[in-house]
Amino acid sequence: MPLLRDIKGSFQPFWVTLRNMFRKPVTVQYPEQRPELPERYRARLILTRDPDGAERCVACYLCSAACPVDCISLQAAEAEDGRRYAAWFRLNFARCIFCGLCTEACPTLAIQVTADFELAGRDPLKLVYEKEDLLVDHCGRQPDYNFYRQTGIGVTAPRGGNPGESPPVDVKDLLP
Amino acid sequence: MTEQLIMLGLILVKLLLVFGVILSMAAYLVLAERKILARMQLRYGPNRAGPGGMMQPMADLIKLLTKEDFVPAQADKWLFLLAPGLSALTALLTFAVIPFGPPLQIFGQTVPLVICDLNIGLLYFLGLSSLAVYGMALGGWASNSKYSLLGAIRGLSQLISYELAMGLSVVPVVMMARSFSLTEIVLAQQQIPFALLNPPAFLIFLISIVAESKRIPFDLPESENELVGGFHTEYSGMRFGLFFVGEYINMVILGSMLTVLFLGGWSGPWLPGVVWFIIKVLAICFFFIWVRGSMPRLRYDQLMNFGWKVLLPLALLNVLITGAVLLWIG
Amino acid sequence: MPTLTIDNQQVTVHDGATVFEAAEQLGIVIPHFCYHKALGAVGACRMCAVTVHAGIFKGLQMACLLKVEEGMVVTTGDPRSVEFRARVAEWQMLNHPHDCPVCDEGGECQLQEMTIAGGHGRRRYRGEKRTYNNQQLGPFIAQEMNRCIQCYRCVRTYRDYCGGRDFGVMGSRNRVFFGRFQAGPLESDFSGNIVDVCPTGVLTDKTYRFKSRHWDLQEAASVCPHCSLGCATLPGGRYRELQRVRSGINEQVNGCFICDRGRFGSSYVNHPDRPRQARLAEQPVTVVDALQQLAGQARELIETHGPEAVLLLGSSRATLETNWLLQRWAAELGCRPPLLAAHTPRHQAARVAAFDLADRLASLAEVRQADLLVLFAVDPLAEAPLLAVALRQAVRNGGRVLVYDPRPVELPCEFEHQSLTVLQIRNLLAEETVESTLLRELLDRAARPVLIGGGDLLGAGGLRHLQRLATKASSALRPCLVHPVLGGPNSFGSALLSPPEPGEDDLLTRLESGRVKMLVCLETDPLLEAPDGERFADTLTRLDELVVFDYLPTPLSVHATLFIPSTAPVEAAGSFINNEGRLQLFGRVIEPGLPIAVTGGGDHPPREFFTVTPGSDPQPAWQLLQQLLGGRADLQAVRQRMQVALPCLAGFAELQPGGPGLRAAAAVAPGRFEESLPEQPLGSLQLLVTPARYGSDLFSRYADKLAPRFSAAGIILNPQDAAERGLNAGERVILDTDAGSYRLPLTCHAGLAAGCALVENSAAFPHLVPGGELGFCQVSAEVAHD
Ligand code: SF4
Ligand code: SF4
Ligand code: SF4
Ligand code: SF4
Ligand code: FES
Repeated sequence: MPLLRDIKGSFQPFWVTLRNMFRKPVTVQYPEQRPELPERYRARLILTRDPDGAERCVACYLCSAACPVDCISLQAAEAEDGRRYAAWFRLNFARCIFCGLCTEACPTLAIQVTADFELAGRDPLKLVYEKEDLLVDHCGRQPDYNFYRQTGIGVTAPRGGNPGESPPVDVKDLLP
Repeated sequence: MTEQLIMLGLILVKLLLVFGVILSMAAYLVLAERKILARMQLRYGPNRAGPGGMMQPMADLIKLLTKEDFVPAQADKWLFLLAPGLSALTALLTFAVIPFGPPLQIFGQTVPLVICDLNIGLLYFLGLSSLAVYGMALGGWASNSKYSLLGAIRGLSQLISYELAMGLSVVPVVMMARSFSLTEIVLAQQQIPFALLNPPAFLIFLISIVAESKRIPFDLPESENELVGGFHTEYSGMRFGLFFVGEYINMVILGSMLTVLFLGGWSGPWLPGVVWFIIKVLAICFFFIWVRGSMPRLRYDQLMNFGWKVLLPLALLNVLITGAVLLWIG
Repeated sequence: MPTLTIDNQQVTVHDGATVFEAAEQLGIVIPHFCYHKALGAVGACRMCAVTVHAGIFKGLQMACLLKVEEGMVVTTGDPRSVEFRARVAEWQMLNHPHDCPVCDEGGECQLQEMTIAGGHGRRRYRGEKRTYNNQQLGPFIAQEMNRCIQCYRCVRTYRDYCGGRDFGVMGSRNRVFFGRFQAGPLESDFSGNIVDVCPTGVLTDKTYRFKSRHWDLQEAASVCPHCSLGCATLPGGRYRELQRVRSGINEQVNGCFICDRGRFGSSYVNHPDRPRQARLAEQPVTVVDALQQLAGQARELIETHGPEAVLLLGSSRATLETNWLLQRWAAELGCRPPLLAAHTPRHQAARVAAFDLADRLASLAEVRQADLLVLFAVDPLAEAPLLAVALRQAVRNGGRVLVYDPRPVELPCEFEHQSLTVLQIRNLLAEETVESTLLRELLDRAARPVLIGGGDLLGAGGLRHLQRLATKASSALRPCLVHPVLGGPNSFGSALLSPPEPGEDDLLTRLESGRVKMLVCLETDPLLEAPDGERFADTLTRLDELVVFDYLPTPLSVHATLFIPSTAPVEAAGSFINNEGRLQLFGRVIEPGLPIAVTGGGDHPPREFFTVTPGSDPQPAWQLLQQLLGGRADLQAVRQRMQVALPCLAGFAELQPGGPGLRAAAAVAPGRFEESLPEQPLGSLQLLVTPARYGSDLFSRYADKLAPRFSAAGIILNPQDAAERGLNAGERVILDTDAGSYRLPLTCHAGLAAGCALVENSAAFPHLVPGGELGFCQVSAEVAHD
C-alpha cells in the first residue's frame, strides 16, 4: 500500500540517522593518523629516467593532449645526437586532478604517478612544477623500458643496431 | 524615581543577557549542527579549533570578519548593504515578547522574565515574522544576480504560503488560552501542554516553522545545488555572516515560540523554569538538525502543493473543530 | 554519365570517374595512401580495396583505378575488402619503426589513421625490421627513410607535378629508396610539397622540426602574401609563434601545392627585431596616445597648411579593408585622397590589370588547361613561382609554352625561349615585327590561348598592348585570356580602389613639391619597395612628421617620428585581391605577441603572471584606422560598407576564408592609349632589375628560415656585351645607373638577351627595386684605386 510505504519511508531515515550518530566515525585523523594508501595510488607525477639513466621523456606531447584539464605544457627540442627531449616541461599541480591519463598516454613510460599526495601549500605558483622539479633519477614503477632501444632511429645504438632490426640497406644495390 | 531607574536597569540587564545568550546560542548551534550532522554521516565534524572544536565559532567569526566585503558592480548598493542587517534585526526583535521563565522576585519587585510582556505578543510575533522576509527579498533583489533573484522569489512565495497555515494553527491556541499574551498562554498550559490537547495544530505549526526557517526540507530559497547560494549568492564576509546568524537566531526564536505555544513554556517539574525553557528549545533545535540530516529537499511544486492543498485546509478545519469542541465543553 | 551504387547509395558521376571519386562525392572516404587528388592514382599501395558485386570485374578491386561503369554495385564495408585492407595495413607496418612519439607526422599521419581504420593493432610478424640510412636534403626537408611505405607520392609530386629533377626513387625489391642520388639540398623551388603529400613521417618540415603537434597548432585558412598569385595556405602557429605553413587548396588558384617561398618564408612574423611598441620621437607610448597624437597633428597641419600638408600612403601589402579605410580617413581629414601604393609604375600596371584587362583575366586553373601560353617578360620562378608549376601542368596536358624574355628564364617544363630585350618585346606586342604576325597565327590557331605578361618589365604600357593583342586574338568562339603578374599580394586591390584615371599622382612628385608636412606610411617602406629609394630618402628631411604603421623592421620604421605597430597578415583577418582579380579572405591564425620561445629564452615560460601578453600591442591596421575614424571596430561591418560603396565587390560580406574566392574586377573601357618608349642612349645597356627567387619581397627578406636560399649580389651580362667592354666573369664591375652606381661581381650568361644588364633585387642587394621605368645603365671595369 503506497500510503503506508510513504509513511514508513518518511520516518525510517530518522531512525537511520539517529542510529548512525552512535556509531564510530570512519574519518582518518590525518595528520596524526597516516592513511594507508593502495599500491597504485595516484598522486604527484614524476618524470622518470630509462635504465641507462637518460631522460625518458621524448616530448611527444601525448600527455599534454591526454590531460583533461590541460595542465601539462612543454616544448620539444632536438639534441646533438638526434634525441628528442623536452626543452621545458611544465606541470601545474594546482590544476591537476590526478586522473593518471597522462601516464596512460605516455608511450615511453616517462611520466608516472607516485603516492606522494602532500602537495598543499599557500602559494599556487609553488604548485607549478618545471622539468627540474619533476625529473627524478630512477625508473619509477616501470624499471626496464628504454624507448630508444625499440625504435629504428639511431640514438642509443647506431641505425639498424637495435634488437629486431637489420642493418641499413644498400640502396645502390640492384641484386635481386 | 529610583523605582523607575531600577526598572530601567533591570530591563537593560535582561536585554543584554538575552542578547548575549541568544547570540552565543546561535553561534554554538552552528557548531552543534555541524557536529551532529557529521556524526549522522559517520564523520567527526569540526574538531581542530580548540578542544573538540569548541572554538570553531570564534574561528568562523574571525574568518568572516576578515574576508573581503564584496559588493557586485551592478548591485543596488544601499539595499544590498542593508538587507543582511534587516534579516538579523527582525529575528532578534521577535524575542522581546517571549517569556522565558516565571516572574522573579528581586529587590521586592516582581520581575517578569520577558523583555516586554505585550498583551498582543502573538500578533507582534506574527507581524515581525512577516517582516523578516524583507531581509531576504531585498538582499536577493539588490544583488542583481539571477540566482539571488530566483532565491528571493522562491523565499517570498514560500513564506506567504506557510505563514497562512502558521497563523491559522495558532488560532486554536488563542482560543484555548483566551489571550494573545504569551505569558497568559504559558500559564494556561500549566497542567497539560497544548501539544497534547491539540496535536494537529502542533504538527501544522511545527511544519510551518521549519518552512519559515528556510531549512531542509524547505530550503528552496538557498538550494545550493541549483541556485548556487540562493538569495545570498553574492554576499561575502560579515554580511553573509549576518544572514547566516539571522537564520540560526530565527531557529532559536521559532523553537521558543513552539515551546511557548505548545510545550508549556517554562513550566515543568523540579527544575527552575528557565532551565526547562532552554531544554525544550534545545530539543526543538536538535529536531531541526535531525530533520536536516534525514530528509531530502522538496521539489518546488511539492512544497507549494503541500502548503496550499494540505496544510492550509487542515489548519482551517482544525480551527473549526477546536471552536466546536470549545463551545461544546462550554 | 554512369550511375552506380556504393554502399546502397546511388550516385551519378561524370564519364571516366573512378569508384574512388564517386565514393568521395557521396562523402564516403575509402582508405588510401598512394592516390592524391592532384597526382591521380597509380595503384601502388592496395589500400583502397573495395568489393564489386555487379560490373565487368567482380570481386576485390582497387577503387582508385577502377573506372565507373553503368549499374555497378560496390560496397566498401564488405568483410572481404575489410579483411584485405586490414592485411594491407599490417604489411605496411611490417618494417615500420616504433617511433611515432618522436615523429613529427604523428597526429596528422595517414599511416596511423589507416592502421587504426584498417583494424590492425597487434604486430604478428616476428622478423627483423628493415632500416635505411638517411640523407641530408638541405635546410627545408628532414628525411627519416625507415618510415617509408613506398607509395611513390613524393616522386610523383616532386618530379611529375612540379618538375624537379634531383629527387627520385632508387634501388630494387624491398630496398627502394626515395631521395637524391647524393645527399645535398633539394634544388626545386617546390620541394616543400613533398612534406604535404608524404602520408608518413619520412619527409617532414625541417624548419618546424619537433616544434608542435598538429593538434596543438592554431590554424586558419589564409592567403600567401609572398607574390601576387595569392595561393591558398594553411599557416599554423603555437605559443604566439608562426611555426609552419602548409598548402591550402584552391582549385582556381594553386590547386594543392605552393612554392617554397610561401611555405618556408613565414618567419617574418616572429622576426627578432620586429617593432612591437608604439614610439613617439623615440619614446615608447601607448597605441591610444599615439593615435591621438596622429589625429591631432594631422588636423592641425591641414588647418594651417592646407589639404596638401598630409599625405597618406597605402600599400599593396596592406589588406583591402585597410586601404579602403585609409581613403575614408583621408576624406574625413579633408586631405588629398591617399596614394595606395608607393611603387608608381607597378601601381599603374596593376591598374591596367584591374580596369582594362578586367574582362579577360585568366586564373591559374585556366593557365593549367591552356593549350598555348605565351609569356611576355615574365620569369615565373622569380615573380610568381606557382605559375611555373601551372605552366608545367599545361605542358603535361599537351600545351605549348612560348617565352619572350630578356632574362635566362628557367621553367620546370619544356618551353621555347626567345631572348628579346624589353624594347623588342614591346615592339612585338605593338605588332610591328615579323614575329608578331607569326605569333598572331599561332594564337588564332590555339583553342585555349593565354597570354601572360609581367607587369614589372612590361609596365602599364606593355600590359595595354597585351590587352589589345588579346582582344584581337579573341574570336566569337573563344576568348584569348590574359594572366598578368603583378607586384604585391594586394596590388590588384590597391589598384581597384584607386580611381581609374588618376591625375599625375606620384609619391615623389608630391613629396618633392615641398608642400607635404606629414607622411603617413601604412605598411609600406618606399625606401625598399619603390624605385628611387635615394630620392625618397632625400625628401624625408623636408617632412615635419613621418608616421609609419608596420609589422616589419623596415629601415623606414626606424626613421619614423611616430611609429605604430600593426599586425602581420596571419595575426588578423583580412583580404587580398590576387593578380587575376580574385578576392580572397584570410583568417586570424595567431594572436600578436612575443613568442614563448622568446619570453622564456628557450627555457620554460617566465614564472610571473601579467594580465597582458608581452609584445601584444600591435593591432590590425584596419582597426587602428577605424579608431581614428571613430565608430565600432567591426570588420564585417566594414566589408558590408565596402560592398555597398564598390559594386565590383558584391558578395564580399558573405565570403568566407578558404573558399575559391570571388572575382572582383571593375570593367572600364580601355582608357588612353599612348606611350612613348624611351630612346636607348648609345653604348648603354637596358637595365633589368628582377626579383630574386628568395628575399626580394619584403616578407621573405625578413624570413630567416629562407636565408639559406638567398642569392648573392651580382650582375649578369651577355658574354658578347662583356667581351665588348673587356670585362671578365668573376670580376667586380661598376654599374652606373640613374639612381647611383654600385660595384658588383660579374657573371656572364648566354641566355641573357644582348644589350641588357641584369641585377637581382634581394636581401644582399636591395638598392635597385624591380619594376621601375625602363632604365639604362653603363657597366665598366672597376678602376683600381686605393
Ligand atoms: S594526472 Fe590527469 S590531470 Fe594530472 S596531469 Fe595527468 S592527465 Fe592531467
Ligand atoms: S607522453 Fe611521455 S614522452 Fe610524451 S611528452 Fe609526455 S612524458 Fe614525455
Ligand atoms: S617518402 Fe613518403 S611519399 Fe615518398 S614513397 Fe615514402 S611514404 Fe610515400
Ligand atoms: S607562388 Fe606566390 S602566392 Fe603561391 S606560394 Fe609561392 S609566393 Fe606564395
Ligand atoms: S590508393 Fe588505390 S592503390 Fe593506393
